[in-house]
Amino acid sequence: MRNIYLIFRRDFLGYVKAWGFWLSLAAVPLFLIIGVGFGMFAASSSPVRYYTVIEPSDVIARAVEGEFQQRAVAAAEEAVELAKQMNIPLAEAEEQLADAVGERKFVAVPAPARSLEELRPWLTGERMVAGPAGERPLFAALILSEDGSVLEYWSGDVNITTLKRAAEIAMRDMSRRNALEAAGLDGGFLKEADRVAVKVPAFRLTESHAGEGGAEVTVADRAPSIVAVALAYFLWLMVFSIIQYLLMGTIEERSNKIFDTLLTSVKLPELLAGKLLAVFAVTSTMMLSWSLFAGAGSAFAASQSPAVVEMIQPFIAAATDPGLIIPALVSFILGYVLYGAIFMALGSLCDTIQEAQTLLSPMMILLMLPMFAIFIAFQDPGSPVIDYASWVPLFTPFLLILRIPQDPPLWEILAQMVIMAVTTALIVWGATKVYRAGAVHGAGISELGGMLKAAIGLKPKTS
Amino acid sequence: MGDAPLVMSGATKRFGGFTAVSNLSFDVPAGQIIGFLGPNGAGKSTSLRMALGVMAPDEGEVALFGAKPDIRNLRRVGFLPEERGLYKKMTARDTITYFARLKGLSAADAKARANELLETTGLGKFKATRISKLSKGMAQKVQILSTLAHRPDFLILDEPFSGLDPMNQQTLEDLIRAEHKRGATILFSTHVMEHAERLCDRIVMLARGRKVFDGTLDAAYATLGQGARMAVEHGFDLAAALAPKGFEAHRAADKGPGDSWRVSLPKGLGAQDALRAALETGAPIVGFQPEEARLRDVFVSLVGEAEAATLDAPTAAEAVEAP
Repeated sequence: MRNIYLIFRRDFLGYVKAWGFWLSLAAVPLFLIIGVGFGMFAASSSPVRYYTVIEPSDVIARAVEGEFQQRAVAAAEEAVELAKQMNIPLAEAEEQLADAVGERKFVAVPAPARSLEELRPWLTGERMVAGPAGERPLFAALILSEDGSVLEYWSGDVNITTLKRAAEIAMRDMSRRNALEAAGLDGGFLKEADRVAVKVPAFRLTESHAGEGGAEVTVADRAPSIVAVALAYFLWLMVFSIIQYLLMGTIEERSNKIFDTLLTSVKLPELLAGKLLAVFAVTSTMMLSWSLFAGAGSAFAASQSPAVVEMIQPFIAAATDPGLIIPALVSFILGYVLYGAIFMALGSLCDTIQEAQTLLSPMMILLMLPMFAIFIAFQDPGSPVIDYASWVPLFTPFLLILRIPQDPPLWEILAQMVIMAVTTALIVWGATKVYRAGAVHGAGISELGGMLKAAIGLKPKTS
Repeated sequence: MGDAPLVMSGATKRFGGFTAVSNLSFDVPAGQIIGFLGPNGAGKSTSLRMALGVMAPDEGEVALFGAKPDIRNLRRVGFLPEERGLYKKMTARDTITYFARLKGLSAADAKARANELLETTGLGKFKATRISKLSKGMAQKVQILSTLAHRPDFLILDEPFSGLDPMNQQTLEDLIRAEHKRGATILFSTHVMEHAERLCDRIVMLARGRKVFDGTLDAAYATLGQGARMAVEHGFDLAAALAPKGFEAHRAADKGPGDSWRVSLPKGLGAQDALRAALETGAPIVGFQPEEARLRDVFVSLVGEAEAATLDAPTAAEAVEAP
């Protein structure tokens, strides 16, 4: 144990002292903060754009303006609802919302000319038009055709489609309203029809609600599946992260010719165990740090609103359920050791990063398959694809976790755990042989095929 | 310490169809300095790796302190591999401390020992310097100190002088003597015979994986008859000239003016007799020296000139390091 600890300690400190570790550690929260901040900045820094409508009356202009107002009101209502949940003083929220509603990004201005040709200097920015945000070029013009059947959208920037979409929706609503009125119905008819439509609530049969027949489906019911997907993704991310550590670390030692010195001080299994533990600790440190960051964020949000506490609770309950967490832990440990041993053995056969990269491609393809399964499980947790694929030993660590929320038979869970354990033991056994061949005897990638053949008895063994 | 540090009995190692070491038997009694000599590719490193249990012999046995090599008896061994390697991002002190701890020293003892070794070898001011920032010679010194840090009973040094400049070679010779004085048994491999001549009590010579000699230096020299070195003008056949006089002459590879020859002295005759005979034949002599026996000559006499020529080739490590 002492030797394992010493190997572990050296490798762990070696990784942790490297600036790359701290960069990776900071990357996730930093990107999250930058992402959110960038989004907010992009929204707030978006300039006010002027548009004008050329039509015989002001019907179209009012319809488009109405659509923008409806959007602002809907956003304001959502925000007020959120403010209530977050315990933000309502008056303050409403004041902010009033500002937000007032602060429109697309503003209609009177048409400076009556035809596209005449409008061109304003649309190209050669001339400015006056408006509430000062003098600016005209962003777009909506021109109704003479017969009133087409509303042409003209702009120098076709990438921003907000105005075009708003105009389309406004025209569709106006057409419906006209049709209803022609049929003798008023505009509130559709709203009323929506209000009285038959609702379709979802219920889930549970033992605790057997008498009533079930309970209405809430986020709490989906929490175990979401947690399982998160845990499987977490394991996948961990396996994905260790690749570079294990490959690079082993290649460095091979190129440093340090194995002989180490192997006169520690046993090969101790060396492997120490190294695997070190990388496990490195990735765990990273994931734990990110979890703490997420936890701190959640705790802050919870301190602001009891609604957040209610929202988080089912996830905490699912994540601490022994029925999920025990198989997940077993999958984590065995999955890590299984993939870790493979990568370490492959690294021991490579002298350079370039050599390692030739091995990485097939491994990446192999690793992408469980990633697809995680995606399927998120969309369709009970998919038979997950059930069948979970019996493939290399995928079992990821897919067993995904199956747990679907309450598979206990024997299947136990059988898959045994399969995982046996596969991991076999892989570690084989990886130790490959590692010894690579590290001690200097075998290269080209000899991997021969080693595998020898292992399954297809070729006479040589020393 | 009752058991000999190392006993190899009939050890054989093959790599595919190639036999690297064949039926090698020798022992290393406690307290001796033994030179393990042979040209590159003779099987020295493979033999040493078998001695350490890094690789197992296909046939034969290896006993380290009376038992099969394992981590327990390897704690009494300090090993310097031929191909040097350290963790480049570790400091000199951390490196020595780490390897000393792997050999069983406590953290405090290992650190104190590292400081002591670095100070006594003049590397004190580099103790906090990363290996990657040290010169190659200094890094090699650190590796040698890592080998000695746990005060091993038995030192196995594979080509310890390779890559060192003459000054550091002298420092290493001194270190080996100091370790021997402390009581350590030392086995070192080299293809440079002069180091063995200066340091060893006994030598084991290897060629093409087979042992060709095992004994003291005196016994090695005794395998050669007495002789003299003569240099004659280019093209003169000294062997043909001396044969009628009862002397046997062979071309030698000595550097200097003219062609170099080694003349064997028949029993009862001295170097002066050989010189006189050569002068009588009219040989154009440009150099003469009564012979001091050298290990290289012993090796040549045992394995032939072609095999001995590989002694001068660089080691694998040196070849890699060459620009």
